[in-house]
Amino acid sequence: MSIKEVKIKIDDKEVTVPSNWTVIKACHENGIEVPHYCYHPDLSIAGNCRICMVGVKGAPRPVVACAQPITENMEVTTKGKDIEEARKSVMEFMLINHPLDCPECDQAGECRLQNYSYTYGRDHGRFHEEKVVKSKATMGPHVKYWGSRCIVCTRCVRFTDEVSGTGDLGVIYRGDRSEIALFPGKTMDNPLSMNTVDICPVGALVSSDFLFQTRVWNLKSAESMCSDCAVGCNTRVDLDAKGNIKRIVPRRNDKVNKEWMCDYGRLSFPYVQENRLMKPLLEGKDAPYKDARKAALEALAKKNVVVLASAWNTNQAFAAIKEFAETHLPGAGIAGYANPGRADEAFPGFTISGDKNPNRKGMQEILGIDADVSLKELAADSARIGTLLLVHNIPGYAMTPELKAVLDRTETVILMDHAKSDLLKYGNVAVALPTLTSFEKSGTFVNKDGIPQHFQPAMEPVNFGRSEVEMFHDLGREIAAAAVQAAAHAATPAGAKAKA
Amino acid sequence: MSDASKPNPAGSGDVPPVKKADESAAQKAAGAPQPAPVSAPAVPAAPAEPKPKVPFSPVLLKHIHEPGSHTLAHYAARGGYETARSHVGVTPPGDLIKLVDDSGLRGRGGAGFPTGKKWSFLAKGTGKPIYLAINGDESEPGTFKDRYLLEKDPHQLVEGAILTCYAIGSKHAFIYLRGEFILGFQRLHAAVEEAKAKGYVGKKIFGTGSRGDASPEVDLTITVVRGAGAYICGEETGMLSSIEGGRGYPKIKPPFPAVSGLFGCPTIVNNVETISAVTHIVKHGVAWHKQWGTEKSPGFKIFCLSGAVRKPGVYEVPLGITMREMIDTYGGGMKDGRKLKAVIPGGLSAPVLTAEMVDKATLDYESLASLGSMLGSGGITVLDEQVDMISTIYNTMRFYHHESCGQCTPCREGTGWLEKVSHRFHHNQGHQGDIELLGDIAKNMRGRTICVLADAAAMPMQGFLQHFRKDFEAKVKETAFVEKQRTYRDEITPTAKTITATGAGPSALDVGSNGSKG
Repeated sequence: MSIKEVKIKIDDKEVTVPSNWTVIKACHENGIEVPHYCYHPDLSIAGNCRICMVGVKGAPRPVVACAQPITENMEVTTKGKDIEEARKSVMEFMLINHPLDCPECDQAGECRLQNYSYTYGRDHGRFHEEKVVKSKATMGPHVKYWGSRCIVCTRCVRFTDEVSGTGDLGVIYRGDRSEIALFPGKTMDNPLSMNTVDICPVGALVSSDFLFQTRVWNLKSAESMCSDCAVGCNTRVDLDAKGNIKRIVPRRNDKVNKEWMCDYGRLSFPYVQENRLMKPLLEGKDAPYKDARKAALEALAKKNVVVLASAWNTNQAFAAIKEFAETHLPGAGIAGYANPGRADEAFPGFTISGDKNPNRKGMQEILGIDADVSLKELAADSARIGTLLLVHNIPGYAMTPELKAVLDRTETVILMDHAKSDLLKYGNVAVALPTLTSFEKSGTFVNKDGIPQHFQPAMEPVNFGRSEVEMFHDLGREIAAAAVQAAAHAATPAGAKAKA
Repeated sequence: MSDASKPNPAGSGDVPPVKKADESAAQKAAGAPQPAPVSAPAVPAAPAEPKPKVPFSPVLLKHIHEPGSHTLAHYAARGGYETARSHVGVTPPGDLIKLVDDSGLRGRGGAGFPTGKKWSFLAKGTGKPIYLAINGDESEPGTFKDRYLLEKDPHQLVEGAILTCYAIGSKHAFIYLRGEFILGFQRLHAAVEEAKAKGYVGKKIFGTGSRGDASPEVDLTITVVRGAGAYICGEETGMLSSIEGGRGYPKIKPPFPAVSGLFGCPTIVNNVETISAVTHIVKHGVAWHKQWGTEKSPGFKIFCLSGAVRKPGVYEVPLGITMREMIDTYGGGMKDGRKLKAVIPGGLSAPVLTAEMVDKATLDYESLASLGSMLGSGGITVLDEQVDMISTIYNTMRFYHHESCGQCTPCREGTGWLEKVSHRFHHNQGHQGDIELLGDIAKNMRGRTICVLADAAAMPMQGFLQHFRKDFEAKVKETAFVEKQRTYRDEITPTAKTITATGAGPSALDVGSNGSKG
């Protein structure tokens, strides 16, 4: 059934919108600001904060835009004295029992109460009574609750009902004593719990992991993408002044993750700092790039070379591997492997993929390799491998028997990885070349639905690593340089003499 | 005149308000329990003139004093369920809706919306079941009428529910009772069970589908639901949320319940009194109902009289009688001969009427609306000259603060604020600016919420501020005087703190705050 498009007027601007929209959506989609707390595009309509008041021609008084359906030839005004008056009074009601503890509140700086208070509120308070004090609680391993700051917009309650489906939260008590609370015997320990922190428009629900870490205005933000699973959630990475990641929050993309993200992805970032492979390793010792590359090229010149790439690499890395192998490693085999996955975690409004590889699809597209099948075949083969070029890049990898079998019958391993992982203990890793994490490089991942997504580096590299593309480029250049040198050497008298 | 035998405890103030479905002496003299239907209900030539006075005897409350009035045996003996039997499966449902529409019956729960009109708004052809939800969550302060209908004559309600469900095409009726109505619940539950045993409720009620008159099968389930004691669950959509098993949060309108109500299905919500009245209107017809009342408020209604009158209680009267008649004739006049100061006419949330307004008021929807108040649920509270208006408004605000569900910001925060400021007034801490503040808070609450609880809290405040501003100003003056006295006393006598610090031994806190030791 097609949705009828209707013409409406918003502040004397004529727009055409689908008839099943609400007024607030029509305003937001047309770039007209309407303040809101309880409204969220991905949740059901509650209509309880009452700040999204707009004027509708014919209505006796301002109506809430979030619950007002569009009708043909509707005339909406978002400005005007009565509307300002209504919003001002709602802001005043919001703040009378609010503790105004902004100096110690984590939300300060990105708080709707602060922002709307500046824009729509009064310049002084008229409330001289005792404030209602509500409880504090720990909702789950990652979420804490400051009752007094809560404006009972019930976004979090609706989230646990509709998106996570866990139904952990509810409202208890009545009137201005209303609080958000856990149902008896429940803990909000589902892997989507921290989304409630994001959607909380005030500082009532805060992340235990981010709590008191920094003031948000000291953070620098960069757009990024989560590589923790095959969903490929769009993210915003917040970094402190030193360039360390402080938190990861989801960024809206209706085709991929809406505005949600799982806690695993959110809390995945510590691997960027921990146990990094800072410099190239040659026989287990730090070495300059030049020597490491030379050793690598010597090893690659041997017979029975296999390039083994994980599904954590970017499309660009795969393309570089393919090109390098075709140009410089004639007869070398290319294989792929993946981080072992687990079952999908499906929630009513969001699915966390069990495939813990961001780019299995990209490998399929560019190298034509199915990661799992490829590794099995390679493990089943009993021929000895002379040199294995292992492009790893999987944080927290648990060794699989298949990969161990492959390493066991390999003479020399050249490892490209961003961390000093367990792989260094297995097999004979002659050379280890430091690479970058997905926060530090650019590239493209193809998610489980086949959507290619490009991302840019969110931070400066922690180590002296190079991306795979640069790494293969360097190796190729080295080979070319050696060839040129050899040719030049052959052309000199000494060279000719040696030849003779 | 069964109830006439009841001794009248006029004058004895401490007797609990015994229910008296009383009639005036004049009506008793007329002697007819059921007045003959009048063919021409009103004289259209003179619409401004009141209708000729037709003797009225209680209809809904007629049998409440008879022993065993709640049993099926008693109800059947007075012709109970005959109306339902003769109409269900026989009369086209549309005719019943038209009959109720023509009768001009208006909702008795408080809003006074025309019942037949409400039924005709029902969404048709949705493929979803239609529900009837009967509101018996009577919790408006000053209102206690439904309680008597539930406890004394539940079969009347069940028959009304059967007729209504048949008219609107519903197969399932929910009757939501206030949790505190334990006797009412027991009796209504027993009545539904009795009706079920007789085949009046259940599958193929009244033998429809098998009695040889080609009537279609009519099924009906009646579920009695008990609330858990929240005022907000008497709001129609709050009640629906509560029946659904959720927190009694009112729902956003539109969509109205008639389109999407209980469990997302078209639902008609009516008050217990409305549904009880349907039984009699269907039985006696439109003309019978229209012989009482005014042009726009036809019929009769139960009023609950409380406060400073000699005979408080429930009285069923034709609409359009004067407020004075209600107080003086039915209520037996003011208690102890005191002077009337104010009347809250339609439950606590109706704006207050002053003595002068009371003289003008008649008990119908239009008259009270023109005076800036409302007929509401019919709970009339009479305040005499001894009543402290500040204390009254504080008590009122305390009620709404306690009962606000906390969903919408203006109501959640506003009711508490109003209570706190009126609490200050009550305890001699109110200042001049606070009067304006109270008015401003009330103004900011009105019309800004999902349901009308915010309005219900703001309206009495605005009414009191408008009509009894003098009382507030007097309190402010008194406060200023008390504060002056307090300052004077503090200047000439040592403060409590000083005494503690010097006389009652060393106390770290007191010494510290006093700044010196010993």
